[in-house]
Amino acid sequence: MAHTIDVEMMEKIKKHGAGGKLDVSACFNCGNCTAVCPLAEDSAGFPRRVIRMAQLGMEKELLAQEDLWRCYACGECTKTCPRQADPMQFMAAARSYAISRYDPTGLSGLMYRSPTFNILVFLILSGFFSVLLLWHQGQRSLASNGGLFSGYGSTQLFRFIPGEWVHSIGIALFIVVGLALVFGFFSMTARVMGKKNQAGERRPFPVSALIPSIYSAIMDALNHGRFRQCGEDEALEAKPLLQRAWFVHGAIMWGFLAMMLATTLDYLLKPIGSPVPPWYPMRIMGLLGGLVCLYGLSIAISRRISAKETPYDKSSFGDWFFLLLLTFTVITGLVTLVVVYMPHPTTFGYITFMSHIVLAMDLIVLLPLTKFAHVVYRTLALVLHQWAKAPAPETAAALATHP
Amino acid sequence: MTTSANGNNTYRPDAIIVGAGIAGMQSALDLADQGLQVLLVERESSIGGHMIALAKVFPTLDCASCITAPKMSASAHHDNIRIMVNTEVQAIRTVRGTHHVKLLRKATYVNFDKCIGCRLCEYACDSEYPDPFEAGLGARRAIAVPFTNAIPQKAVLNPELCTTCGSCARVCPTDAIEYDQQSEVVEIETDAVVVASGFALNSLNIKPQYNALQSKNIISALTMERLLAPHGPYGRVLRPSDGKIPSSVAFVQCAGSRDVSIGVPYCSRVCCMYAIKQAMLLSGALPIADITIYYMDIRAFGKGYEQFYQNAKAMGINFVRGKVARIDPIEDGDLNLHVETTEDAENILQEHHHDLVVLAQGMVPEWNPSLSTPVAVASDGFVATPMLTAPTSTTANGIFVAGVASGPKDIVDTIAEAGAAAMQVSQYLYQKRAAQEHVAGPVLVG
Repeated sequence: MAHTIDVEMMEKIKKHGAGGKLDVSACFNCGNCTAVCPLAEDSAGFPRRVIRMAQLGMEKELLAQEDLWRCYACGECTKTCPRQADPMQFMAAARSYAISRYDPTGLSGLMYRSPTFNILVFLILSGFFSVLLLWHQGQRSLASNGGLFSGYGSTQLFRFIPGEWVHSIGIALFIVVGLALVFGFFSMTARVMGKKNQAGERRPFPVSALIPSIYSAIMDALNHGRFRQCGEDEALEAKPLLQRAWFVHGAIMWGFLAMMLATTLDYLLKPIGSPVPPWYPMRIMGLLGGLVCLYGLSIAISRRISAKETPYDKSSFGDWFFLLLLTFTVITGLVTLVVVYMPHPTTFGYITFMSHIVLAMDLIVLLPLTKFAHVVYRTLALVLHQWAKAPAPETAAALATHP
Repeated sequence: MTTSANGNNTYRPDAIIVGAGIAGMQSALDLADQGLQVLLVERESSIGGHMIALAKVFPTLDCASCITAPKMSASAHHDNIRIMVNTEVQAIRTVRGTHHVKLLRKATYVNFDKCIGCRLCEYACDSEYPDPFEAGLGARRAIAVPFTNAIPQKAVLNPELCTTCGSCARVCPTDAIEYDQQSEVVEIETDAVVVASGFALNSLNIKPQYNALQSKNIISALTMERLLAPHGPYGRVLRPSDGKIPSSVAFVQCAGSRDVSIGVPYCSRVCCMYAIKQAMLLSGALPIADITIYYMDIRAFGKGYEQFYQNAKAMGINFVRGKVARIDPIEDGDLNLHVETTEDAENILQEHHHDLVVLAQGMVPEWNPSLSTPVAVASDGFVATPMLTAPTSTTANGIFVAGVASGPKDIVDTIAEAGAAAMQVSQYLYQKRAAQEHVAGPVLVG
């Protein structure tokens, strides 16, 4: 089988590592990482073979490894690596490299490698959204509106920035982002499905198994089934449930989903800007989701700040950016929830509200370009992996007739 | 032979050799044969070092004690060599080219001048403990000659286990037992020192994921040497936990070296070869057993070593390339090894079942001379040898190094280096004395 070699690839991947300190060239391929991994299966993609692909510059093969996304960074490999080549961080860097290669614009690569560019994009976007949101404000006279600080509740907030306007921009963003993700989605799917094994054969991907694969992958993403098996060593097991890595990640994800759901239902079921009491179900769902998400975020951030234990001791700028963006979005959202029920609107309230909308828009528009993209690629990888494992129709039929 | 230096202040050897393993003995013999007076200092109760405990040596499969024992007797009987066992170097202070070596002579509670090595005390003693010479597999009495072919053949009392019952003193024909003996510190001057302090193995449990503390059947390579030695603890190869004849033995290489995560990044250089040697000896001792060596690279670098490796493969010893990640004790004292078989295309993640596992622990320095002597050590902890063209020179003038004290090496290289160190010492002494005569000359004339 012919291989096309990218001799620069290793150096490129290293640039996606935290602080440029990823020394994965030190790897001498002993296989400790794969053997110690609680999740590794007999497939090609677990740490050593992917590292080998990177060392040899086999880019096509590396980008076809859905297994990159089946690693949850428990850090067992890094703790026991004889060369301290940090396989866990390599897997993270390779994922980030893969995102940049699936993305046709090349923007995500720049975002990952250059913190300056990342911040610049963030500031420009935020400025752009602020101007866009305040556009209406400028056109209306404050006097005719009764001024910024008259009236009560969310009605006033939406008089400040009209709800329809927010939603229109939001939907437009979803379409743009959706298109960008579709490219990445198909890029990864084509590479993974085109992968050939040692014998030069593609895996079966029987059509009948597609729906069950999607179902099982989504269920796994929701309940963190595989993530729970990750890092089952005594040190991690000794931690109380609420502090285990999978639970912390789960809290962030479940909380985020609850907030998304609350926002969507709000949009669908409630006239925009109509005042509702605090015990309105969607408000309560949003509040609880926000608190759960904030709990996860606070643990994730404090572990990265103290940076005492693997895998929290080496965080890339991309890790920090996504975490902080999400945190500030959630905090401003929760504060806005409180502000709405204040008897007197304040400047602080308006600023918080606008910040929340701007940050949420940043979060969405940057989804394909930041670590946030893992929600798409990881789920897709789980689907493809499940799907590839399903027996080909003729094998399944044979199994059915000869149990 | 090992009379106390106390009250004998005129004793001033030309060289003191620290450590009486194969390196120290070879240096001592090479110097003594040139007519120089040598003091050979040994911390243990017998000279011979690690080598006297080995079964056979690679790649010739010669009997190790058949090579070591003659060196031991030659050293002991040499007119120019004096041996002090149970003696530790506490400090070396160098003043105008003279080394003042402070020695701690530990109490043995036996007067070596009187002891005739008859072992009556040993037979009379009731207190027993796991024999360190047999890697803890046999038993030793609280008062005993260290092992069969120990030199000197003198009994030594272990105060930790002695109950002072008096049995040994009652049976001793020469009244050699001295319960009130005290350790003493003596200082001896000399012109040259050779550090030949050798190695220790790092802990069997240095990689916690190997669970060595949870199974008696995860053993050190030195334990395997004793199991294989014809005069070993059982006289045959049995596994320690239950005395079963092993049917499947694993050698886990790089279990204590070439591993940055445990702080030993260097290669211990001998493990590949001794594992192959032990595997060959095992296939003789246990003809139907499966023997597997798990390795990262086979480093067969010496003369005849590659052929030795190829012979082992041809004999049917399994070689599996992959670092063992975890060892789990399972039922019946057996062990499960988790490994990625890195040379396979499919089924790379494997669990292999064995009933005895030998860990290739790393070699670490036995002694850190930089704490109490002018000798510096390198970043790996071994004695620093800064001069490329004089590999037995240390950072201290007049102090030389031989054998594993300066870095892991096999017996062949150790003996060659011990000879080289002796040559450097005699050259150093010759030049030093020639210079002194040159300086002294005009003074006398003036």
